[in-house]
Amino acid sequence: MTQNKFDPKVIGEFLNFSRNLAEAPMKISVPHEVSIGSTQFDVAYKEDKMRLLHFKPLTTKQVRTPLLISYAIVNRYHIFDIDPKKSWIKNLLEQGFDVYLIDWGTPTKIDRFLGFHEYVNGYLDNCMDFICDEASVDKVSIQGYCTGGTLATVYSSLHPERVKNLIATAPVIDGWKDTTVVSNIAKYFDVDKLVDTVGNMPPEFIYFCFSILKPFEQGVEKYLKFLNNIDNEKYVDSFLKIEKWLDETPPIPGELFKQWIKGIYQDNLLIQNKMYVGNKRISLKNLNMPVFTQVAVGDHLVSPECSMPLHYAVSSTDKVLKLYPTGHVGMIASSFSQKTVLPELGQWLKERS
Amino acid sequence: MENESNITDYYKKTAMFWSDMIAMMSSKPTTLSAVGPLRTLSSNMKKITNELTEANKEIVGFNNFLIEYYKQLADTWSVAQKDVASKVSKLSPNEEGTEAYKRIWIDIFENNFTGLFDSKKFSENYNKLISKELDLLKRWNIITDVMLKSANLPTKQEMDEIYEELHTLKNRISELESFKKNAKKNDTE
Repeated sequence: MTQNKFDPKVIGEFLNFSRNLAEAPMKISVPHEVSIGSTQFDVAYKEDKMRLLHFKPLTTKQVRTPLLISYAIVNRYHIFDIDPKKSWIKNLLEQGFDVYLIDWGTPTKIDRFLGFHEYVNGYLDNCMDFICDEASVDKVSIQGYCTGGTLATVYSSLHPERVKNLIATAPVIDGWKDTTVVSNIAKYFDVDKLVDTVGNMPPEFIYFCFSILKPFEQGVEKYLKFLNNIDNEKYVDSFLKIEKWLDETPPIPGELFKQWIKGIYQDNLLIQNKMYVGNKRISLKNLNMPVFTQVAVGDHLVSPECSMPLHYAVSSTDKVLKLYPTGHVGMIASSFSQKTVLPELGQWLKERS
Repeated sequence: MENESNITDYYKKTAMFWSDMIAMMSSKPTTLSAVGPLRTLSSNMKKITNELTEANKEIVGFNNFLIEYYKQLADTWSVAQKDVASKVSKLSPNEEGTEAYKRIWIDIFENNFTGLFDSKKFSENYNKLISKELDLLKRWNIITDVMLKSANLPTKQEMDEIYEELHTLKNRISELESFKKNAKKNDTE
């Protein structure tokens, strides 16, 4: 008869893990009590639930053209400023940029009829007006992240005369080429029925999409790692902030979600220049300003094949496509983004601002 | 399946018959003593019964897709577990072996489940499941609307109409503001 002999180290590790599990509530703050966002800002302009945040400068000399960041419609903007050491905003301010950011807010039932037209020709355009007035400029640079990249692209196509430079960071452009599980679900989604029945796209559906992205790495391994590191203050702090950010996703206005799923994922109208917003056709050929497209090779939310076509579709001759060996969030909130992505973006933008 | 449908139809017809009978009865001699509200109640009961019997059909459909959903998850789990078992049999029960086991387990499960979520069969079934859930929700909304109406409160449909009206008004105001702004700009130029 054979007997299984366990390494005492394995038993020790198991006991350690059990101890951490029991002690975690005493050692760690409640995730919802953790505060996120560290860079100071003023609310420069407000319209309905949308807020335009203007970050306070960190340098005495600033780049002439302001930069407006159009955040995604999924989750909140805090990921751009979640940790001072990994803050996208802080880095840009330190490089001398005058940074504005749109916080789309949390839509409620009254917002269910808001679509691309209201977001692009309303909120985004009004923010541009405000910034031009405040900074006494005719043009502003726009950076859009993820779905915010799509909004920024649509805006730049409709109002090219207002956009100095366009930076598209992991934008959702060519839905048919997207190879993520999100696009697989979106392809067969009866979006009309959802919107007619529940109004806005509820966060619960968004959480479902997140949960099937990397279910075991994100749903199991991440928490095991966390419990093994509860004495590591920096790790715990960063973990809780990200968790809180992930947990705070607002609903998406029904009409916008409908147009999004149909126009981008199901009918793929944007890349074919067949999409209409506010009765005007969106042609990516109108993008004649300098365009910088940032793509993450390991992006499991917006696959590189979905973002890259933007680079080839624009008419601008001053265009750059950069591929980074990181993921969707890693591209904007990591040590890698601080060391590589942001310095490259800053240099490109300064030369054109 | 046909038998199930016959039974549902039978219950639906029976329910409709009696609620119609009650509605008719309440409208005649009982009207004298029942005044308004009881008559409304009987008519509402008819609508609610109708929605509940229709919802039964949808629950059957919902259950079928839900079973398929869990079957897909269970099948994938079972295949992944077999794959793990075939790969970890030679690992030794020490610290390195445990680490390697964890890594293999997570990688294999991740690959198998991502494969499932990426498949057409998963997406089709999942979306049919959601669609049935929404059908049920629609029935619930109608029942709630009946009750709201009887309490003299605005229904979901009426609220949606108000939201749409407000939305149109806001857009018209925005257009006027933009027109005014452009006119002012042209005047200054």
